[in-house]
Amino acid sequence: MTQALLKENPECRNLYDSIVKGNIEEASLYAKNLVNEYPPLDIIQECMSPAMKYVGDLFERLEIFLPEVLASADAFEAAMKYIGPKLEAQKIATPTKGKVVIGTIQGDIHDLGKNIVALMLKAHGFEVYDLGRDVPVYKFVEKAEEVNADIIAVSALLSTSLPFIKDLVRLLDEKGLRSKRLLMVGGGAVTREWATAIGADGYGENAAEAVKVAIELMQRSKVKGE
Amino acid sequence: MLSFVDIIKRAEEGVKVSEREFDIKWVYNNVKELIKEYDLKYNPEELIPLSEDFIDDVFEAGLNLALKTGIYVVEYGSVIKFSEEEIKEGIKTAPARIMVGEGADSRELYARKTEDQRPPFIMGGQAGAPLPDDLHFIMALSYMQEPIIDGINHGGVAVVNGLEVRTRSPLEALAAIKELINLREAARIAGRPGIHLLAAESGVTAIGDLAAINHEYGLRKTDAHLVPVLNEMKTDWDRLIKAIVFKVRGGINCALVDPVIGGYFGGPVGVAVGFVASFLLSRIVYHADYYIIHPIHHKWVSTSVPEGMWVLATVGQAVSKHTNFILFGDVWTSNGAGSQEIFWEITANTIVNTVTGSHPLGVSATNGKYPHASGLETRFMGEVAHVATRLNRKNANEIALIFTKKYHPYKTQNPDIGKPIYDLYDVKTMTPRDWWLEKYKLAIKEVAEYGLKIV
Repeated sequence: MTQALLKENPECRNLYDSIVKGNIEEASLYAKNLVNEYPPLDIIQECMSPAMKYVGDLFERLEIFLPEVLASADAFEAAMKYIGPKLEAQKIATPTKGKVVIGTIQGDIHDLGKNIVALMLKAHGFEVYDLGRDVPVYKFVEKAEEVNADIIAVSALLSTSLPFIKDLVRLLDEKGLRSKRLLMVGGGAVTREWATAIGADGYGENAAEAVKVAIELMQRSKVKGE
Repeated sequence: MLSFVDIIKRAEEGVKVSEREFDIKWVYNNVKELIKEYDLKYNPEELIPLSEDFIDDVFEAGLNLALKTGIYVVEYGSVIKFSEEEIKEGIKTAPARIMVGEGADSRELYARKTEDQRPPFIMGGQAGAPLPDDLHFIMALSYMQEPIIDGINHGGVAVVNGLEVRTRSPLEALAAIKELINLREAARIAGRPGIHLLAAESGVTAIGDLAAINHEYGLRKTDAHLVPVLNEMKTDWDRLIKAIVFKVRGGINCALVDPVIGGYFGGPVGVAVGFVASFLLSRIVYHADYYIIHPIHHKWVSTSVPEGMWVLATVGQAVSKHTNFILFGDVWTSNGAGSQEIFWEITANTIVNTVTGSHPLGVSATNGKYPHASGLETRFMGEVAHVATRLNRKNANEIALIFTKKYHPYKTQNPDIGKPIYDLYDVKTMTPRDWWLEKYKLAIKEVAEYGLKIV
């Protein structure tokens, strides 16, 4: 957080704290108050995103747990309900590190690991579309097209789900979308070698690595885009 | 005890809640309240809690969690609840000993207690690993030929005739049948045709499981299969079908509970409480006969990390003290067979399990990710478990801490994933290669320095 904003208005610190605590009511209240006085982008970048980053770090060290991260993400979303319309009115795009469509692949009902990755990506500033578990291959593609996702992130705990990830790669190829969408894979059944073999752009051994890789992929794709 | 029909009826009539609400309000909030009420704390300085009061409180909190929360059935979107009498009836009727396996290969599987000096039951294999057909068979041979191994829990067949197995496909049934044929054949070659199998891992849905039930070349009544409690405190139709059909046909249900440390139960303390509740519920819902303690670290997965072993030690003591449940503690390592580090992980993890009321189950090297496992490191697990029966909790804690410091955190973060069985063994003669045997001998010397003399 920049010192200036903090010094000028303690409500920025309050908003930060309410997101860390996962307090929806307070986060809404402070966002509502701040948005009439400060540029919406500044509020996100200086009060809200650092709070989610801090929450992610606490989880990484097991000082807080998944439900608390979930609550913080909800508080962030609640604040965004007031900030989002202002951004729209000013024709400013919501700041994001990238758009990610995420889900556990068809045939796999194990979604806890995926939930952790989705929340950690949110905590680090990604716009995340979580499709849930046992997601049919075509739905990843459909959603990615709909929201113009940068990354499709797929998780599989079971080895019997892995063939469905290969189907996804094939479908992306057939539709000519491989160059448009980055593919990340992870989960208990996925190894680094397998990820490379199917041509995935990134692999995360755990949530922390998934975030790191997603950030790197976005930086690389931006450089490529320039 | 409640019949399976009673269970289904309760699911049909249970309170409807969303999964998200169940995760947060029913599971996490209740766990948090109970931790506060009983003032339960995790002590990172110890692997094995020694306070009897603490162990009693963890059990009581777990019992209360089972009562307050119940179990969620995904397809119904409802919660099944039980009364205290029903849960206690489950405890009272749980088998404290069962005969598993057949003929000369049958063994008595019994409920261990803390600091139990009786020889533990050694369940060997790379549990949970997805393997190609040929590798599955050869690895199975390497476990079957180890006399110290009493029962086998060894991965699933993930590729049949070059075709990858898909969930819910016909191949899932074929893979489970093939898995059992491999295990039975390997058992016969090793001269142990009646050895107990905890198997049918190739099929995750009920399809594979049901296909594998067959006395000649499949799951027998003296064998067991896994019926997991889904994360956290949930079940679904597939799990219920598996539990019901095999039980009705006279088989043995093994409840696998594998919560994530950092997930909906919270940290190590919440996970320990959640384990107790999940075991009590699985006794009623699945009519479980034995149980596996498998804490998953949110980052490192392996059970050999300090938080994982603390949970194993806490749950093992709490459940073995207050019930006659037969418990297995998993041994999942970050390092693979062929490394020296794997022996350090096995040593710490096995000592903790054996001294705190569990039988050891493993070694699932590389957390089952790579097929880098063999009978030799599982022989070592069995040997450590047998000598660890001479330890009390205090000594066990000291030795386990020393070994843990050898691999954690550096070799947990940067594991040596080891090698496949073709590099570890001469598979024509099914003997470990000299270099691999030398590492095993060095490991034996290392544990002997701490009074654990393997003869």
